[in-house]
Amino acid sequence: MSARVVITGIGIVTPLGNDIEGFRGRLLEGTSAAGPITVFDAAALPTRIAAEVNAAALPVQTKDRKIAFGLVAARAAVEDANSAGVALAKHYAGDSGGLSLGIGLELFSMPDMVSYLVKGNASDEENPLTFLQTPSDMCIHIICKEHELRQPPLTHISACAASTDAIGAAFHLIRDGRRAWMLAGGTDSMINPMGVAGFCKINAMTRRNDAPQKASRPFDRDRDGFLLGEGAGIFAMESLKNARTRGARVYAEVAGYGNSFDAHGISEPHPEGEGALLAMQRALDDARIRPEQISHINAHGTGTTKNDPVETHAVRRLLGAHAKNVTVNSTKSMVGHLISASGAVELAAMITCAKSGWVHPTINLENQDPACDLDYVPGKARKTSGEYFLKNSFGFGGQNAALVVRIPA
Amino acid sequence: MDTRTETGIPDPIVVTGLGSIVRGLTAPMPSADADTALDVGPWLKSRKMRKFMGKQDMLATIAAGLAIRDARLEEAWLKERTGVYMSVGYIPFERSDIEPIARASTKEGRFSMDLFSTAGFEQANPLLTFRCLPNMPIFHVSLNYGICGPYFVTYPGVGQFYVALEQAVTALRNGEVDAALVGAAADQANFLVRHHFARLPHSVNTVFADAGAFICLEKRSTAESRSATVKAELLDYAVHYEPFDPRESVVPFQEEINVSGKRKPADAMGYLGPTSLPVSLDCAHSAGEGGELQHSTQTMDGFRTASRWRLS
Repeated sequence: MSARVVITGIGIVTPLGNDIEGFRGRLLEGTSAAGPITVFDAAALPTRIAAEVNAAALPVQTKDRKIAFGLVAARAAVEDANSAGVALAKHYAGDSGGLSLGIGLELFSMPDMVSYLVKGNASDEENPLTFLQTPSDMCIHIICKEHELRQPPLTHISACAASTDAIGAAFHLIRDGRRAWMLAGGTDSMINPMGVAGFCKINAMTRRNDAPQKASRPFDRDRDGFLLGEGAGIFAMESLKNARTRGARVYAEVAGYGNSFDAHGISEPHPEGEGALLAMQRALDDARIRPEQISHINAHGTGTTKNDPVETHAVRRLLGAHAKNVTVNSTKSMVGHLISASGAVELAAMITCAKSGWVHPTINLENQDPACDLDYVPGKARKTSGEYFLKNSFGFGGQNAALVVRIPA
Repeated sequence: MDTRTETGIPDPIVVTGLGSIVRGLTAPMPSADADTALDVGPWLKSRKMRKFMGKQDMLATIAAGLAIRDARLEEAWLKERTGVYMSVGYIPFERSDIEPIARASTKEGRFSMDLFSTAGFEQANPLLTFRCLPNMPIFHVSLNYGICGPYFVTYPGVGQFYVALEQAVTALRNGEVDAALVGAAADQANFLVRHHFARLPHSVNTVFADAGAFICLEKRSTAESRSATVKAELLDYAVHYEPFDPRESVVPFQEEINVSGKRKPADAMGYLGPTSLPVSLDCAHSAGEGGELQHSTQTMDGFRTASRWRLS
């Protein structure tokens, strides 16, 4: 059995807003979501900027922000999928739904850690389940309970590749007939003292504190690291046959998925882009398409010195002479790096823009790095009439994932 | 519910390599070496990588190395046609890494962001980032054994190990890989992990073990083509899940292991977290036990899992 798999619902929580129309509009306008960190007082840290979600406006508040983001995005995806045709719960009676979610690590709260070391345990007013650290898997179970997803959930922790892996795994499960429908995507927030300090310690983040909106500069000669973001992106996925039967709106078809290891360095990608190339090639093979059929790539595009030229090189190796015909952009230039949620939110960006015939720009690309010599859609959105789109996500530690999606014009 | 019967399928999934390392048990175990120090050095391509490794990374690297060696898999064979499917335990920041940061960030018994940004930040070891990330165990496995194949990395317990097992079996059946390293690593002597279990309404076993364990799975035809020794055969497995809200209810952990109809007391094994099935398989094989191994669990996070293996 091999079913065609489509996306029929999208739920997002992003630094550029949580509604699809607004998100797309701001992406196409080239809006940066960067600003000073307000979640905590970062005044004395080397990096004091990030792209934050307006968490106060969310209907759910949790101590660990990524859990609220995940719950809200899952609800939005289901609501969106239910907005056309027969509702998911009605169409899929029984035990058929599942969840595949990429999620960040359970980073402890520093105030709680100090309290724990001084006093030994939680005070009476603390919730013992969330004191010190909230286990990340809690988010998965709450989403499953809320939406009665009775198939065993898949939790992905492959860092920056996690949500792309989650969507790819869901695609395979539905394609192979092992799940009827799924929620898939990712959620993360590392905008907290230990998260920001940890990335500062390894010099991974931009320090352009005086110009936050210029800070995320993928493929630019003057890039100095990634801008930290946060958020969630979750998709409702089902077979095309079921989507048609229940009269659902189809955003896109997931056509192929591949992942790979670099087996190279702990913090630097393989210099020849071997792992990245393998993941992309596997995704194309899985989709049974040729490189010449790709019209656009939403890049991992972090804005770090190491990633951008290697990703460029890997894309050139994949596409050969066809590279000159392909546009490549980086959503991170506007929303920052959402770590475990990055792949899902960037896929949402790519799909929602392409569905209206556009690819969004890569902003802050003012002086293109000579080692990055593709068409990155600098500054201004561009019309597209392509059919097959590629999404790349490359994780710290050499875990690479790629998705091929078909978005009919 | 996912239940898959492997019995009767023409080309069964077999185990060709097993490796496990367990620390912290009070009861002796037949195979997994409870006394072995975590000497990961011999397993590393570059000993310089040792400083980047947390305990889970070392447990995973050693256990995977043992399984690969047991399966007699060469690196050239491993490279692109081997997948790695694993579950890690709860994220174990080391107290020795965290305490100096917290102490330096404390003012009048409370956290001070001013102090954290200065004195606390100075105390933070840059290597901490590498040692705590949950995807690092699978990175070290891929790096040290030259594996570029597909992967699935999840957390934190037995239920997720079975999900990884299912992903591996499917990849083998679909021809995506020729071999699948399926394993787990859990640092459970860790103070944060202990804190987590202590706050749950139902305690698990009182003995928490640090453990890493891997099995190498192949289709029988693949194993035979390279003259590998078959140690066990997967007969069937099941992974069931009941959604629950962890803020409201947690069910007690239960585990049962039977070898040839004889029940093995799970308490004697200690709480092995996600490693319990591969450790059980390794122990049964090393003890020379034949017949059938049955493993079943009800986890605290809504999973009910079971599997049957024919021991060679």
